[in-house]
Amino acid sequence: MNLENEKPNGGGKRRSASQWAVAWRRFRRNKAGVAGLVIVLAVVFIGIFGDFIAPYPAYPANGAFGPFYKGDVRTAPNSHYLMGTDVLGTDVFSDILHGTKFALYVGVVVTIITMAIAILVGAVAGYFGSWVDNVLMRITEVFLVFPSLLFILIFVRVFTLGGGAGSSFNFLGISVPFGLTIVVVVLAIFNWPGDARMIRGEFLRVRELEFVEAEKALGAGNRRIIFRHILPNILSSIIVVASLTIAYAILLEAGVSFLGFGDVSTMTWGQILENNFSDMRIVWWAEVFPGLAILITVFGFNLLGDGLSDALNPRLRD
Amino acid sequence: MTETLLKVEGLKTYFYTEAGIVKAVDGVSFDVRKGETLGLVGESGSGKTVTSLSVLRIVPKPGRIVEGKIELKGENLLAKSEKEMQSIRGREIAMIFQDPSSSLVPVYTVETQLRDVLSAHEKISKDDAHKKILDLMNLVGIPEAEIRMREFPHQFSGGMKQRVAIARALALEPELLFADEPTTALDVTIQAQVLDLLEDLKKKMGMSLVMITHDMGIIAKMTSRVVVMYAGNVAEIAKTDDLYYRPRHPYTALLLAAVPRLDRKKTLSIIPGNIPNLIEPPSGCRFHPRCEFATKKCEEAPPVLEEVEPDHFVACYEWKNITLKGETGKND
Repeated sequence: MNLENEKPNGGGKRRSASQWAVAWRRFRRNKAGVAGLVIVLAVVFIGIFGDFIAPYPAYPANGAFGPFYKGDVRTAPNSHYLMGTDVLGTDVFSDILHGTKFALYVGVVVTIITMAIAILVGAVAGYFGSWVDNVLMRITEVFLVFPSLLFILIFVRVFTLGGGAGSSFNFLGISVPFGLTIVVVVLAIFNWPGDARMIRGEFLRVRELEFVEAEKALGAGNRRIIFRHILPNILSSIIVVASLTIAYAILLEAGVSFLGFGDVSTMTWGQILENNFSDMRIVWWAEVFPGLAILITVFGFNLLGDGLSDALNPRLRD
Repeated sequence: MTETLLKVEGLKTYFYTEAGIVKAVDGVSFDVRKGETLGLVGESGSGKTVTSLSVLRIVPKPGRIVEGKIELKGENLLAKSEKEMQSIRGREIAMIFQDPSSSLVPVYTVETQLRDVLSAHEKISKDDAHKKILDLMNLVGIPEAEIRMREFPHQFSGGMKQRVAIARALALEPELLFADEPTTALDVTIQAQVLDLLEDLKKKMGMSLVMITHDMGIIAKMTSRVVVMYAGNVAEIAKTDDLYYRPRHPYTALLLAAVPRLDRKKTLSIIPGNIPNLIEPPSGCRFHPRCEFATKKCEEAPPVLEEVEPDHFVACYEWKNITLKGETGKND
């Protein structure tokens, strides 16, 4: 097909043209996508090192109220408090830095759970078809017709009431807030159906391709075909959807927290918004800056997702 | 020499579609002998491919094998469990497909692709697999195997891709290989190379080959015996020479007359009409609406295969009463 690649090794070295190398070349040319990647990398950096950069320790540690003890409550942004202090007397800049890791935690873990369920359901439904597909898709639709925000709020409230809010558990040496984890799980449970449908559609498409038949003819079993042959072929779609799901999850958690249903003892960005909402006319900075943090992060993941989708779409390949 | 490897008897594979039951393969019988190349020829939609998929038991839904017997070395394949079939596929019966650009997994390098087949059947270390893959690629004549095995299918030309597909099918040294129009998607210049390769490999590995094609030229070049299929039925089975020079079925004769010849100035004949709708096939002999010799009897009941001479079977009521023009070549 590609004559250039058919030439024997005369002179110049062979251009490596693996799927990912091609995608990366295409991605680099997409300015918006690269901007998204830069934003995402910056957010990840802050997520990891934010605790060390922040001038004040994280809420609810006593040190977090440093400005309060100095009488600096509701102080407008100045050289000392870059983004001002909020109604509780904590430094908004520090809160945002500390909150970054929670935003990433929400985004990444919701996406992992969502994708795990979606891939399992979508793959089985799309690959096996017939009544299996019917049953799984009807279940999926049940989730889709729920007014999901309402259910998320109810479930989060019910589960966080059962105690545990405020406590945290240890996961691989990292202290994870318990209440926030409940929010994350509930978000994921209501978030997988859309992605499951997408993955099912991809499976329906790929399972008809001839190489699936060829692999079957050479003795590959169902599990092998699903995971070793079809899944890698739709990995690009999954990556794109995953990056968009991260953005959506961060936004959704901020919404839930802002409505006052989040984990009150974990200072996520949405929680900062909620805490200062009633005094918004005075402490506008405690609303605007966390809002901007959410906006930039979500925007970054969206740009990245769009960039990836362009780079990985074989039909646009030049 | 004449040991039977595969025996198919009265095979019926139907597709249960919304529009009705498509009788894609309806009572097909033939056998494949050890070490021979058998041709399976017919128009598009005559059931050649479905027959081979049936033997491997990978008929796609909504298709189903309804009836019949498929015996590999005396063992009934239709009685096997899916697990047992999985170990037979690739190891004892393998298949190569028409279009190598779509029958190879696009996201894997050739090495991964071939290793995948090996590891699906047995535990094999990466080093052993590497050695075996190298041998396989040399066997199918891919130059610079060590380098090329790290490349992706889209970096190969069509002919090279089909060589990879052949290497993949032969990885476990099957005794029977179905080649489903293996050269249709290739350039004419590459076709001959691939056919020669298949012929050569068949001899080297002592396997039997079933060539599925609609190209009478390939049949003449490659096969020792031919099964002619029409609309899901077998019309004629004969040694290749007998079939070309003394066809007994009117359909075979028309098929031969439709082959273009450079050495003769004649108008290329076409077979009037189309292959029938297989949901409601014609009564009796399925070819009778297109057959110039059709009689009343042909409309009533389907003819069965009759032996007209040793190793030559035909499913036609009229074969005794008609003389058909075969290929007129050097024998004349």
